[in-house]
Amino acid sequence: MQHAVAPPAGAIAVPAATEPILVARDIHRSYGTRRALRALSFSLLPGRVLGFLGPNGAGKTTAIRVLTTILEPTSGQFEVGGISSEHPDRIRRLIGVLPEGLGFPRHSTGRDYLTYFGQLYGRRKADARQTADRLLADVGLTARGDSLIETYSHGMRQRLGIARALVNDPQVVFLDEPTLGLDPRGQLELLGLIREIARDRQAGVVLSSHLLSEIENICDDVVIMNAGQIVAKGSVAEVLGQASQDPARQNSVRVRVADLSIAPAESTIDGLAGVRRLDTEPGGWLTVEFVDDQGAPVHDIDRNRVLDALIRAGIPILGFEVAGGRLQDVFLQLTAESIE
Amino acid sequence: MTANPRVWWLQFRQELDELWVGGKALNLLILYSVLMSITAFLLATNSELSLTPPRTMIVVTIQSAISFGLFLGLIIASESLSGERERATLEPLLLTPASHRQIILGKFLAALSPWPMAYALTIPYVAVLAQGDLALVPALAWGALLGTLVAIVFTGIGLVVSMWSNSSRTSLFVGLLVYLATLLPAQLPGEFQSTAAGAAIQAIDPLEAVRVFLRQGFVDVRPVEELWPLLYAPVAVTIGVIGAIFLSSGGRLSLTAGAPRILSMVARRAEGVGEHAT
Repeated sequence: MQHAVAPPAGAIAVPAATEPILVARDIHRSYGTRRALRALSFSLLPGRVLGFLGPNGAGKTTAIRVLTTILEPTSGQFEVGGISSEHPDRIRRLIGVLPEGLGFPRHSTGRDYLTYFGQLYGRRKADARQTADRLLADVGLTARGDSLIETYSHGMRQRLGIARALVNDPQVVFLDEPTLGLDPRGQLELLGLIREIARDRQAGVVLSSHLLSEIENICDDVVIMNAGQIVAKGSVAEVLGQASQDPARQNSVRVRVADLSIAPAESTIDGLAGVRRLDTEPGGWLTVEFVDDQGAPVHDIDRNRVLDALIRAGIPILGFEVAGGRLQDVFLQLTAESIE
Repeated sequence: MTANPRVWWLQFRQELDELWVGGKALNLLILYSVLMSITAFLLATNSELSLTPPRTMIVVTIQSAISFGLFLGLIIASESLSGERERATLEPLLLTPASHRQIILGKFLAALSPWPMAYALTIPYVAVLAQGDLALVPALAWGALLGTLVAIVFTGIGLVVSMWSNSSRTSLFVGLLVYLATLLPAQLPGEFQSTAAGAAIQAIDPLEAVRVFLRQGFVDVRPVEELWPLLYAPVAVTIGVIGAIFLSSGGRLSLTAGAPRILSMVARRAEGVGEHAT
């Protein structure tokens, strides 16, 4: 991001980076008898990206709508920049939001759209126009700023939506499934942009997504939700560690080899002592499960024996990981447990 | 960051862009012109047969202009908020600190904007059909005043319906029903219209009251003093509708429309009574 948009007059000072910029306390939300959110509590520090994960219907969008004042919580409260949820009008000045499936006016240009929203937030027209130009540059849309939004691609609309979310120089930015429907390159570009928002603006970012591998790469903290409640939260490392304490998860490793090497690798690993099961997955991944010694985790040396044997057999190793060591594994494990 | 104090003006301009640059208002005006042309052609044909005097043609043309013209505002307002809900453009608006009452005001004024254009388009038709009759100018002036009143009423009704609807089809349908209901009194048998009940319905229905006012004022040439009671309904309903918009927009606009707040309160109270009873 090349430019930092100057905060307008009247902006509320950003608290020190050690103080949470967003704090949710025991938030509940029901639709009639259906409880969509239960005891949602977490906090977010400035400059950090918090990944909001969960299967469809987990309550992510409801949580974002409550935290962005679109919906009132049934009980509980939250604070943004020290402002209590009892003052939604004041909170709306501190947050920027990219809702899921955001629509755009059909006959407006990107520049006019951002200028209009800048003015809604109290900027004078000239200032709003200047801010719009800077934001268009930030999201890489300068060349298309004067084109009608209806001519934009999906990725360009998402970037324009993010620019709109930044028009008031927010302290907390909520992005609900921003990468949905984007091609891989578009996803990477957008995630890079999100990282820059947190780093350059020192804004807290709440990112809801299904793209677990990307979330793992750009998020500092994670909240995993299922059936309306949090099943894990903390830094990415903490959440991964939480799952890897499960001994059963530590008894497997995954090794990736070239397609031509799959058969020799299988025969090599099959001959090792202590190997209970060997599965081949698409992409040349071999999952090796060791004998579970009364629930005790397998020692690192046992894992290294697999690598040692493959190296000795002259089989090139393209990848290696402890099963359960990825956010995707944690997500599947925690959400499955919760469903059970 | 403080909210813009002139949100209504920003919203009004934004809506005008969408309506006029987007072509929706122009399309509706073309439809309006076609309807007015048909009406004028039928009246002119009758005139050639010496069946309809010029004054009657002036009044009928202005009555038609009001009936067709108010429909423009009703259609636009009916899908203003429900349409934004459908297009997912309402949420970013609700996320700003902008006053919802001012947003509604901007939308209301924009939805009203085709009416003056429509009425201006009517003037040449009336001028030709008037054949030099001196009632032309006062009839047009009264038509503008009364037409504006009922245009406010119907645009306001459309907006209130739109606030409480998630679907523009639903709100358009409800708006159309209201419109047809106000046209009903004119279709009632003449004998019924002369009864007390018929007179009451005419007095309550703002559109019918305006139609009767113009007919009695310019065709029957009755003095204005006798016709004032006919204006009570349009004025009262206009005030009522503006009040309803003011009250409805006082609370927060919601992303998903539900029952009016008053109905929700009644429902909750009823539930409370039920719980106590058990």
